[in-house]
Amino acid sequence: MAAVEFVNATRTYEGTKQPAVDDLNLHINDGEFLVLVGPSGCGKSTSLRMLAGLEPVDGGSIRIGERDVTSIAPKDRDVAMVFQNYALYPHMTVAENMAFALKIQKVSKSEINKRVQDAAKLLDLEPYLDRRPKALSGGQRQRVAMGRAIVREPQVFLMDEPLSNLDAKLRVQTRTQIAELQRRLGVTTVYVTHDQVEAMTMGDRVALLLDGVLQQVDTPRALYESPSNAFVAGFIGSPAMSLVSSSIADGNAVVAGFPIPIERSAINNLNNAKSVMVGMRPEDLTVNAEGIPMEIDLVEELGADAYLYGKTPSEVGAPVSLIVRVPGDTKLTRGSRVKVKPTRTYLFEDSPTGKRLT
Amino acid sequence: MPAFSARLWFSRDLREVRLFLQKAKSTTKKTADKAKLKGLLYPAVIFVIILTQLPFLLTIVFSSINWNLLKPADRQFVGLENYATVFSSGDLIPALIATITMTTMAVVSSLLLGLLFALLLDRKFKGRALARTLIITPFLVMPAAAALSWKFSMFDTNIGAVNYFAGLLGLPEPAWITDYPMVSIVIVLAWQFTPFMMLILLAGLQSQDQEVLEAAAVDGSSTWKTFQLITMPHLRVYFEIAILLGTIILLQVFDPIAILTKGTGGTKTLSYLLYERAFIGLNVGEAAAYGVIVVVITIVLATLALRTLFSVFTRGVRA
Repeated sequence: MAAVEFVNATRTYEGTKQPAVDDLNLHINDGEFLVLVGPSGCGKSTSLRMLAGLEPVDGGSIRIGERDVTSIAPKDRDVAMVFQNYALYPHMTVAENMAFALKIQKVSKSEINKRVQDAAKLLDLEPYLDRRPKALSGGQRQRVAMGRAIVREPQVFLMDEPLSNLDAKLRVQTRTQIAELQRRLGVTTVYVTHDQVEAMTMGDRVALLLDGVLQQVDTPRALYESPSNAFVAGFIGSPAMSLVSSSIADGNAVVAGFPIPIERSAINNLNNAKSVMVGMRPEDLTVNAEGIPMEIDLVEELGADAYLYGKTPSEVGAPVSLIVRVPGDTKLTRGSRVKVKPTRTYLFEDSPTGKRLT
Repeated sequence: MPAFSARLWFSRDLREVRLFLQKAKSTTKKTADKAKLKGLLYPAVIFVIILTQLPFLLTIVFSSINWNLLKPADRQFVGLENYATVFSSGDLIPALIATITMTTMAVVSSLLLGLLFALLLDRKFKGRALARTLIITPFLVMPAAAALSWKFSMFDTNIGAVNYFAGLLGLPEPAWITDYPMVSIVIVLAWQFTPFMMLILLAGLQSQDQEVLEAAAVDGSSTWKTFQLITMPHLRVYFEIAILLGTIILLQVFDPIAILTKGTGGTKTLSYLLYERAFIGLNVGEAAAYGVIVVVITIVLATLALRTLFSVFTRGVRA
């Protein structure tokens, strides 16, 4: 077990100008479960593959524990990886798949047997040890891939979207199992996903990437509570935060005619900008006599809660989308008009990745 | 509107056929319907039989006739006499040995070279497409033309390139075709069949999941170990196909023998012997007997080859 550190790590693919991973600085503590998350093409998988040694590092360095592994071959890094499509060895049985790395290390037969049996027990794979991957279901293959990583007892686990090929129910179930397993084994884990729910529920900390640039790395709670920019705010949370570009008048941000006061500290940060990005989470909006006018397009009833999806009416400027959380017994229906008042707002510079102002 | 009505008629006809088939399906127990359905297949089956089986049946008939082209009048049924002559002539065993030696050597050497080139061409480098095209060309050259160019521009003692370079390097300069007839033919065959083997093995290499190789690398496996433990087992079925198809084709090789050695120096294979008996000995009956023997050997091998192919296909379906 060891800490992992990316120091100014950069990777540029041949024939492209923009780096896939741009100057990544990230410290992952010993035993930590860190989730790399972001939309497709954000460089999360590339970062993981750089750590595994499957992708060269064009600039900067990567350390595992005390060792600089930047130019060390994958086989000598002592990391275990779970691939998206599992990458099981097709001609080997489940037991042979799990034993492969140990055999290469020339671990004694009895030790290999013991470790494979232990992992199989842990993952409920005992009845399948003599089967080939072909004869297994998706969930079982996923567990074999996990088992192959576990028996290694490596310094770091790397997981590249290991749940994306499972059906929804199994995914939720396996999600908890993996998180629990990692806590039990205490092995430093880097986990890549594009699913923010997975990121929030599994990670000790979450690192959010966009276009190869690290946006923010923090605990799930902190990412939700204090996003450092508009992109993080919009990406984390489900349903997403409503982000509205609004003009400024008399120290207020005006959203569809409704003024929202801007704090003094934020005004100082604004540098005389003419507009500002206002972020409002669904739970921070309440239906009220006074507020932002909204026409409901869709009521999503989830039982305890319901979400109103709607737009501001076109009479008061270009329509902007809003999502509002209301109690589950709401009488509101599609087409009705309401006014919603924000109880808490987040202010950002007016751009898709605008910096947080308050 | 004749066109329209024709289409209507046609579509109605189709519907009738479909109804007939549906009815036939639902009442398959009615043997009359079954027979009707099967009857639709017979023209195709008969055509295939004429095309593929008739020549072979004729060969069997010829092999039971005493038929020398010099004495066309003296043609009669002799039963298995031709086979008796073949088995007692003393030509058969040396020819069998020559066939087996030549085929084995050619298959093994072209397979190893094919594997080498497949591995090289599986890598990414500039000009890979060109290199692939170039490496395939020997397979596209007509066998007779290939044998001729090897005979004169490569192996010839006076003007051949092989001895020219051997001379430059101070190596011995043998008369290749006379001193090493079998080796010379095997070299030509290996040159021609390396691309064939390479194509099959390259297809195998390219069908390998790259993630599996990456998984092996992360699992601590060196390049050589990965090749040995992951790639070779994956290639096994491709090796089987390459060996069996290659063997079937090489068993019937004729051109380089006729052009380079004319069957001298232990290179008289079954197919060349057959040619000699038919076109030099002019003994059609005896040649046909040799032909039947070659076909029997080939059928045994072809059955094996087809079985391998089918197992590959079913594997592909299941995966």
